[in-house]
Amino acid sequence: MPSSPGFSLTQSVALVWRTLRSMRTALILLLLLALAAVAGSLLPQWPNSPERVIQYQRDHGLWGTFLQRAGAFDVFGSWWFVLITVLLFVSLVACLIPRTRATWRAVRQKPIQAREIDAFKHYREIPVSVGPDDVVEASRRVLVRRFYRVARAAGQPAVAAEKGAAREVGSLLFHWAFILLMFGVIFGKGTGFAGYAVITEGDTWVDARANYDGQIRTGRFFDGAFTGIGIRLRSFESAFRDTGQPMDFVSRVDLLDRQGNLVRQQDIRVNHPAKIEGLNIYQINFGWASVLEVRDGGEVLTRQAMVLDREPAPDGVPAFAMPWYGVLKVTSVRPQMAIEVELYPDSRALAEQLRTGRPAAMLVAYDPVIRYTVWRGRLTDPSPTSLDTTFMRETARGIVGGGRTADLTTGEQLEPGQGADGLTISFPDLRHYSVLQVTRDRGVPIVLAAAILILLGLLPALYTSRRKVWVRAEPHGEGSMLKIGGFALQRKPQFEAEFAKLVDAIARAVGEDGSEAPASGGSEKEKVGSR
Amino acid sequence: MTDLQWARISQDAFNAAIFSYLAAMVGYFAYLAFQRDFLWKVARVAAILGLSANLISIITRGLAAHRVPWGNMYEYSALLACLVVAGYLIVVEGIYKVRSLGGFVMAFAILTMAVASQFFYVSPGPLVPALNSYWIKIHVQAAIWGSSLFALGGIVTILYLIQDRRERRQVDSLRGEDPAPIMGASLNLDAPHDLVDDAGAPMSAAVAGGKKRLPSAATLDTLAYRLIAFAFPIWTFAVIAGAIWAQEAWSRYWGWDPKETWSFITWVIFAGYLHARATAGWRGRKSAWVALVGFVSLLITYYAVNLWIVGLHSYKGF
Repeated sequence: MPSSPGFSLTQSVALVWRTLRSMRTALILLLLLALAAVAGSLLPQWPNSPERVIQYQRDHGLWGTFLQRAGAFDVFGSWWFVLITVLLFVSLVACLIPRTRATWRAVRQKPIQAREIDAFKHYREIPVSVGPDDVVEASRRVLVRRFYRVARAAGQPAVAAEKGAAREVGSLLFHWAFILLMFGVIFGKGTGFAGYAVITEGDTWVDARANYDGQIRTGRFFDGAFTGIGIRLRSFESAFRDTGQPMDFVSRVDLLDRQGNLVRQQDIRVNHPAKIEGLNIYQINFGWASVLEVRDGGEVLTRQAMVLDREPAPDGVPAFAMPWYGVLKVTSVRPQMAIEVELYPDSRALAEQLRTGRPAAMLVAYDPVIRYTVWRGRLTDPSPTSLDTTFMRETARGIVGGGRTADLTTGEQLEPGQGADGLTISFPDLRHYSVLQVTRDRGVPIVLAAAILILLGLLPALYTSRRKVWVRAEPHGEGSMLKIGGFALQRKPQFEAEFAKLVDAIARAVGEDGSEAPASGGSEKEKVGSR
Repeated sequence: MTDLQWARISQDAFNAAIFSYLAAMVGYFAYLAFQRDFLWKVARVAAILGLSANLISIITRGLAAHRVPWGNMYEYSALLACLVVAGYLIVVEGIYKVRSLGGFVMAFAILTMAVASQFFYVSPGPLVPALNSYWIKIHVQAAIWGSSLFALGGIVTILYLIQDRRERRQVDSLRGEDPAPIMGASLNLDAPHDLVDDAGAPMSAAVAGGKKRLPSAATLDTLAYRLIAFAFPIWTFAVIAGAIWAQEAWSRYWGWDPKETWSFITWVIFAGYLHARATAGWRGRKSAWVALVGFVSLLITYYAVNLWIVGLHSYKGF
């Protein structure tokens, strides 16, 4: 069946595989990954800061377009970054499989006997008074007690011993753990999602797709199952330093199960997310929601807590100095009506701004006040946050304070207790809203386990060493000649002392004092040379 | 004592530390030049005094701010300098008995602290909410330990490259029968250090190096490797702890924020270094250059990311 082109295909596959199998390839791929990451950190990235990407493209014209095409504004999501990662992991596996097999074999295999042991880097001869078999048996016991794997030669008074497989095993564990890490990342991100919940004080939010604010980011394998749990925001509190530096934000919530029963109460703050039914709930942002009521005579046209937004502050203006903006749309009157609302939560700051011309931060609610503009006509834009005034005209503007009512026809604020017949707007209450991020990532425990394995593997891989020792005994006069040879593959200077101690221990075990061995006529030589 | 007084003491101690380190640097370099033992002793005393002042400055800073004293770049820099000097005194002088690198280490510490007081100073105060977590103790500690050991490794690597060049020249000039007395260490024509394996470097040369200007290239190479191999797992742990913290604070364990990205790049380069050391033909100078690239990457992770690259870590925190 394999025709000539098929054969060359096999060959080229084999070539690719051979290339991927070399550590060099893996290292080059790792280096490429680092270079890609450098690019990703120097260029603005779409997922992190879209506005800076737009700015960059505006400033760099053709170059910006080129980078856009190349995926340089989303390096970590680009096809070539994924390609490098995949190749790296394939290469890693290709390197690991033969190494793992070899290690598996080596660990199960008995230590191999050596023919010439006096050629090893460390070597000692000590004449002892007991017979060869006893010497070898005693040495075996000493070596086993020191966690060597020991094999006795068949029919000969000799043992071979090895120690330090942990180095290679640790190294393998370290590398395999990255495969597990990758699996955890893909599994977690693939089956997970992240979205935002906007909740006004006093309201309850239920986990369902429609209730998320804006887009939710879902993984490729997301099953679409939302939990139906509820979050009731009892209150939200924020604290600032005098300088305006934020100190603490906290959402005090009731967590409810699917049926609406209270599971527990919890405070969600930065660094302290809530966890329920596999969901993690984080404090992300907060703002003001003004409760507004529009009446026509006695009839309530609308009453709602409006979630207000802030424009980004221009340079040099503190973010908290910006007024909060929203649009209230009333469709049940003819002509239709839209009320643009600008909230100043702290009227002292507004007064100061009007006096000095400098915007001042509004960190707490103090005599809040709303500036409004009334538009009448045809509403064309269904969005709750923006207003298209093409078919509308401005009919009034004015100010309404907290707890007060204003006449929408004249724009006059009414005195408390004063009644009105026409359209009025009231501002009975000001509440906080809290923005919580809701995420699900089932891969986190796997990733954590992989990270722990990486560390566990790294330590023996870096700090242990492989050592080999051979002991032999030959008849010598009344007793025998003890011969010990060995070497270390790593941490060689440390092995010198260890070897000396080992020799002492064996000598003592056979009833000789190792340190006096030379005096008792034995030859001692410390060979320095390659084995 | 009031917070203000503590803050004042902290600042005075900070300045005292810089001046002591300066004196120590002069002493160490004088020792390098004139080889008088008392110069080394003076330099060592100055370094220990500086270290104590540095430590006092860090502790009083914590007392003034009522929290752990590593909440921003200024504090982080002071701690980094402190650990680099302590690491040098304990590991390099204490364990390896290499005395001649002190001047370079002091120069690094002085530079770090001077930059900190010049550009990063902020008065002590509480942390922004995102930093207010017990993970600041774990993650930041590990990051500082890792970076100070990497930094020491980087300094030693630079010296290795200098010394290695010198030794090679010396070999050449000896071949050209002109044994010019070059500032340098033991020369062993029989065993060029390329043949000396990773751990087999003659440490005795370092011990004997008390009387020499710079330790031999082989000693420096081994020392750099030991420092980096020591730092690498700590750095790995710091990155992992950072990821755990990010999961708590920012709802994801990894988001390619510039600090995350650069700590990853630094990690990859030093991982490459460790692999290079294990690969024949990459030992010695080639792997030293890899370590040097890692050192540069560490400096970028530490300085550039906080100052010029916009990201979640750029509140002059971490």
